[in-house]
Amino acid sequence: MRERKAQVWGLLAPTLFLMFAIGVVPVIYILYLSAFKYNVFSRVGMVYTGFNNFRKLVFDTDFLKSLRLGLTFVVLCCGIELPLGLLIANLLTLEFRGKGLFRTIMTLPLAMAPITIGSMWVLLMNPDIGPIPFYLRKLGIEYNIGVNPTQAFFTTVLVDIWHWTPFVVLTFMAGLSALPKQPYEAALVDGANRWQVFRYITVPLLKPVILTTLFIRIMDTFRVFDEVWMLTSGGPGTATRYVSIHLVRLVLQSMEYGYSSAMSLFLLYLTIVMCWLLMTFISSSQEAT
Amino acid sequence: MKKLVGLLVVALLVLGSAVVFAEVANPEWWQKAAEPYKGVVIKGISESTPPSKAMVEVAAPEFEKLTGIKVQFEVTSWDEMYNKSIQDLQTGAGIYDFIYVEQDIIYAYLAQNWLTNLTPFIQNSAITEPNFDVDDFTSFINYFKDEKGNIYAIPFEAFLKSYIYRKDLFEDPEIQAAFKAKYGYDLAVPTTWEQYTDIAKFFTEYGKEKGIELYGHIAQAKTHPCVAYEMCESIWPAWGIYNWGINLEKMRASVENGGTLNSDQAKKALRWYVDMLQYAPPGVRTYTWDETAAVFGAGKVAQGLIYLENLGWLAQDETRSAVIGKIGVALPPTAPGVMDDAKAGKGYIGYYDGGALGIPHSSKNKEAAWLFIQWCARKEWQPEFARLATRVVRKSTFEDPLIKELDAKMGGYFTLLKDYGYLFAGAPALPMHRPLNELYLKWISKAVAGEVSPEEALDNLAKEVDELMQELGY
Repeated sequence: MRERKAQVWGLLAPTLFLMFAIGVVPVIYILYLSAFKYNVFSRVGMVYTGFNNFRKLVFDTDFLKSLRLGLTFVVLCCGIELPLGLLIANLLTLEFRGKGLFRTIMTLPLAMAPITIGSMWVLLMNPDIGPIPFYLRKLGIEYNIGVNPTQAFFTTVLVDIWHWTPFVVLTFMAGLSALPKQPYEAALVDGANRWQVFRYITVPLLKPVILTTLFIRIMDTFRVFDEVWMLTSGGPGTATRYVSIHLVRLVLQSMEYGYSSAMSLFLLYLTIVMCWLLMTFISSSQEAT
Repeated sequence: MKKLVGLLVVALLVLGSAVVFAEVANPEWWQKAAEPYKGVVIKGISESTPPSKAMVEVAAPEFEKLTGIKVQFEVTSWDEMYNKSIQDLQTGAGIYDFIYVEQDIIYAYLAQNWLTNLTPFIQNSAITEPNFDVDDFTSFINYFKDEKGNIYAIPFEAFLKSYIYRKDLFEDPEIQAAFKAKYGYDLAVPTTWEQYTDIAKFFTEYGKEKGIELYGHIAQAKTHPCVAYEMCESIWPAWGIYNWGINLEKMRASVENGGTLNSDQAKKALRWYVDMLQYAPPGVRTYTWDETAAVFGAGKVAQGLIYLENLGWLAQDETRSAVIGKIGVALPPTAPGVMDDAKAGKGYIGYYDGGALGIPHSSKNKEAAWLFIQWCARKEWQPEFARLATRVVRKSTFEDPLIKELDAKMGGYFTLLKDYGYLFAGAPALPMHRPLNELYLKWISKAVAGEVSPEEALDNLAKEVDELMQELGY
C-alpha cells in the first residue's frame, strides 16, 4: 500500500511541481511586490510601503472608473449572451432546413483568436472605410467609435456578444440534450403550451448549466483584453478603459510593478468572491432540485 | 580542356559572389571576422518599420550567406517590441542579442545599465571592419552616447517628422485662385499655424464642395501613446514648448515649479490640436502613426505632419501610394520666435526621430551581434538602405548619386534633412519617458475625447507629472 502511495505521488509530482512553479510562485511574488512602491524607472529603487498600495486603490479614481466600466461590461455581455444563447439553443432543438449549416457558421467565431476578432472588427467599424459606418451613414446615422464614447462602448459589447454567444449556445445545447424526456411528456399530456414548457420545465432543469455558463462568462468578460485593445485601446478618452486594459497599461507602460501587483491581487480577490457567490448559488440550486 | 573548364568555373564563381555581395566592399574581411562565430544564432527584435523590414528582408539574408551566422530577427508592433525588449533586459534572460533602441528610450536603458558599451568593440580591429568610420555618422549618433562619449548603439534609421503636402493641389491654378479669393493671400507652404489652419479649413471645405474625399489636416489622435508623442514631439515644440514642457534642471512640469506644461501657450497649442481634428478625415481619432501615412498615401489629405520614414513608399510604391510625384516636404509651421530659438540652439521645431541597434547587457553572442550591427551600418549599403527605407545615418550617404536622384522624387526631403536637420531634435533626456508617456496619453486623449477641456487636462497632467517625478526620486 505504501509503495502504491509513493507511486501515485511520483506520478503526480511533475504536475504538482509545474502547478506550484507557474501558479503558486507568481502569486507569492506578486504578493511580495504589492508591499512595495516599485517602478522600474525609479531612482530610489523598491521602497517597502506595507499595505499602502491597497489603500491607494480605494482613492484611485481612474482605477475605480475602470472597475465600474469593467463591471458594466460584464453585466451587459452576460445579460445579453445568456438569454440569447438560450433562445438560439432552443431554436436549434427544432428541425428546419439549413440547421446544420447555420450551426457551423454560428460556431466559426469560436475558432478564431480574440486578437483576430479585434482586427476584423476594426476594419468593419473603421469610420473611413468600414462597411458598417458606411451603410449606417446612408441611413442618416453617424457611427464613429473614435468619437462617440457610447458607440465605442456598445461596439465592444457587441463584439463580445458576437464572439462568445456561440459558446453559450453550445453549452446550452449540450445541457438540453441531457435533459430527461419524462417531464416534457407529462407536460404535453397536461396540455402545457410551448412557453409554459420552457418556463416551468426547461429553465429549472437547465439551471445548473445556466449558472455554470454564467460563471465562466463572468470570469472571461471581466478579463477581456484583446478585442477591446484592438478596437479602441480603451478610448475614446477612457470610455472603454476596462479594468483589464487599465491594469495592462499600468504594468507595461507605466511600469508600476508594486501598485499593479496590489491591483492584480484585488481583482483576483474580487473574481474569487464573485465565483464563490455563484458557486454557493449553484450548490443550493442543485440541492433544491 | 579540363584546365579551361576549371578556370571558367572559378571565374563564374568569383563573378557570382561579386554579384551576390555587390554591396560589400570587403567580403574577405567579413568572412574572416565571422569565422569564430560560424553557426551561431543571433536573435534580435525591432519595430515593424520600413528600415527594420529592409534589414530583415535584405541585410540579414545576405549577412547569413556571407558569414554563416544565423540571424533570427523579429519585427513586431511598437508596443510588443518594447514589452519584449524591456522584459528581457530587466530579467537578464539573454533572449536577444541585439535590440531596437529608439532615440527616446536610450536614457532609460542607460540609467539601468541595460546596454553593452560598444566603444571597446569599435576599438577592436578583429571584429570591427576597417571602413566602419564612426566619424562618418551624422550627429544623430550623439544621442546614443553616455556622458563620457561611449557609444551604446549604432543608428540605422534617422528621419524627421515634418510637414508634407500635396504639391499638385498647391500648384493647381484653380485651387490657388479659390484660396486667394477666400483668404486674400497666396496658397503656399505655411510658415505659421494660422496659415496652416486656413489651408486645412480650405481643403476640407473644398473636398465637401467638390464631393471628393479630401481633407486639410491629419493627426495621430487615437487613444494610444502616439497621441502623446505627437503633442510632445511635433506640436508643442513648434509652438515653443520644448522638452515635453518639463524643466530638465528641476525635473518638474508645472508652471509653479518652473515647467511650461500648463502654461498658456501649451494650453493654446492643445486647444488648437483638438479643434483642428474637425478638418481631418472622420476616422482621425482612430489613427496612429501608421494610418496617418496610409491616409496621406491614399490621396485623402492635402497637408499634415507625418513621420517621413514613410516617404520611401509614398513616393515610389505604385501598389500602395496614390500620390507618387505629387509630394512636397517642408519645415513645419512655427509660432513666433520658435525658428529663432531653433537656429540659436535654444529650442527646436520638430522631432528628429530614429533608432539604433544595441546589444543587451545579457546577450550571449555579443561579438556576432556586433558584426551584424556593423553589417547594417556599412557605408556601401547605406544609399540602397535609404532607397528602401528613407533613412540616413551617415554623412557620406547624402553625397551618393542614388540619394540625389531620390531627393527629387521625394520633394527634396534628403536636402531638407541634410540642411535643416539641426533645427529638429530628438527626445529630451528623460529616463522615465515611458511612464511619463502614459500620463500624457491619459490626459491628452481625455481632452481629444472631450471628457475634459484642454486647459483642465494640462493642469492635471502637469500636477501628475510633478508627482511622478517626485515619486521616482527626481
